[in-house]
Amino acid sequence: MQSPVVTQPPLLKVTELCWSVGNTTILQNIAFAIKPGQFVGLLGPNGAGKSSLLRCLYRYSKPGSGEVSFAGQNIWQLSADEYAKQVSVVLQETPSQFNLSLYDVVSLGLTPHKSLFSSTTKADKQIILQAIEQVGLSHHCKQSFDSLSGGEKQRALIARSIVQGPKLLIMDEPTSHLDIKYQIQLMELAKSLNVTVLASFHDLNLAASMCDELLVIKQGKLVATGTPEQVITEKMLSDVFGVCAEVSAHPQSEQLKKVIPRITYFYGYQGGSANAKK
Amino acid sequence: MQKNNYAAVIVTLFFGFTSIFIALSFGAAPSKFIDVYHSLIGQGHDPFIERIIWQLRMPRTLLAFLAGSGLAIAGLILQTVTRNPLADPYLFGISSGASFGVVCFMTITGISAGISMSAAAFVGSLFTMLLLVFIAGRASRGQVETMLLAGVALSFLFSAFTSLLLYFSDPQAITAILFWTLGSFARAQWATLWLPALVILSCTAIMMSFRRQLNAMLLGDESAVTLGIPVQRFRLLMLILSSLITAVLVAMCGGIGFVGLMIPHIVRFFVSQGTPSGLMMTALAGGIFMVWVDVLSRILLTNQELPIGVITSAIGSIFFLSLLYFRKRES
Repeated sequence: MQSPVVTQPPLLKVTELCWSVGNTTILQNIAFAIKPGQFVGLLGPNGAGKSSLLRCLYRYSKPGSGEVSFAGQNIWQLSADEYAKQVSVVLQETPSQFNLSLYDVVSLGLTPHKSLFSSTTKADKQIILQAIEQVGLSHHCKQSFDSLSGGEKQRALIARSIVQGPKLLIMDEPTSHLDIKYQIQLMELAKSLNVTVLASFHDLNLAASMCDELLVIKQGKLVATGTPEQVITEKMLSDVFGVCAEVSAHPQSEQLKKVIPRITYFYGYQGGSANAKK
Repeated sequence: MQKNNYAAVIVTLFFGFTSIFIALSFGAAPSKFIDVYHSLIGQGHDPFIERIIWQLRMPRTLLAFLAGSGLAIAGLILQTVTRNPLADPYLFGISSGASFGVVCFMTITGISAGISMSAAAFVGSLFTMLLLVFIAGRASRGQVETMLLAGVALSFLFSAFTSLLLYFSDPQAITAILFWTLGSFARAQWATLWLPALVILSCTAIMMSFRRQLNAMLLGDESAVTLGIPVQRFRLLMLILSSLITAVLVAMCGGIGFVGLMIPHIVRFFVSQGTPSGLMMTALAGGIFMVWVDVLSRILLTNQELPIGVITSAIGSIFFLSLLYFRKRES
């Protein structure tokens, strides 16, 4: 996917990012870069600041200090529309009560591309229908968004972001509350889009198998970055997540020609944490 | 899918014209459809009937239609930007502001009739709207909650002032104020019709041009931001649009409850508001509904007019109760 020799300029670059609410510091000196085409996973325990970090990246929160740049430009110097044309976001929030159809929700992806009085053209409709087909929901097209299942809703939101035509797709825990089958399906769908992806994950095994690179944050600080093989270690799992676990190679590693770490957790934390270690 | 929607809009439009036509033939003076037809094409046989139809019923029916569409659109806008199905054009205290303006005006000047009353109502509701925009504009997070709570608080505040002033003023003022709480189209005339027409048409046009942004607000504030929408400013703009519509209508025909709340919900049963035709249907349905309510108000009692607000509130409450009943049976 990436050329091994030439180092490409990063698509998204975060430097010395700090963000706080009142006197509480949420994010501290975060710095990383994402190269075009990478699939990057963001990991961290609850309350570590994953969502806060992503919010700073999709312009919902303005960082206190530090800079986020997209393709070499500070994202706060771009107009909201311009940024939305290049970066799309899939969140947990879903509309309710107002019977928008699946088609309507997906077509909202056109919003940043359309001037005020322009109508939806035939070509636009084609793009919308294609995106719906790509996520496999063509037969639900006219159905109301509310009546879809959790997995279908998330896929519909991905279709919306396909219509948005982004270079970078940001996803904030898109797979929580989903059955394992849909978790895998959704992530493989995101991977198949051939755009750069930054997603936060709950399931460490899923992250390890899907991502080219992982970022781990703990209490608002970036504590580890690298390939899954470098990042997913028994020491990291105990330091950051406070669990005892064994890391081995996933059986599919050889077939896929890359090392996929597999985590096996140990149990028995009630009787003192030492017991958990075999 | 799209073609069906446009067909539905055309059918509704046709139904709207027919409703206005039929409405013109109802009233205290006896007239037939054929009289209406003749008056409309300028060949009326009876100049008396022709004058009634052109000078009294026509502006009145048109104002009813405008009021219905305006309130439905204002309700739709507010329900969408607050993501609250119970939002209503009067929820934010605009009609209490109007009543307060009228009562203040009457207490200070002693005048209790004429166009200056409408002007006082307009000033009162604009004042409420500015206060609300000021409060909502200062809120950085949780703007929706601030808007809703501040609106309800303002509404109670102005009602309290109104009651206080009424308590010390003469009984005649109380009858006059009833007009602003119950609504009526009796004051409709050609000379003043341009104002609501202009405000409602332009606000609706602006709303239609922002329809994608408006619907994107339903996805939630964060998602709307990621679609490139300046959420806080956009919500204020929409609040101003719907308040302007409501303020003009309150000044012209008083407070007419339930229409702004109910019509968007009824239309949503059939068409999604995600399409331009869904928005047009909301405006048309509101207009048609109000034309018929006005007809009812004129014919239910002989030689007497029922206040519009009484009929819409009665129909509205029955509608909501039956909705609750059927929803319960469904689940």
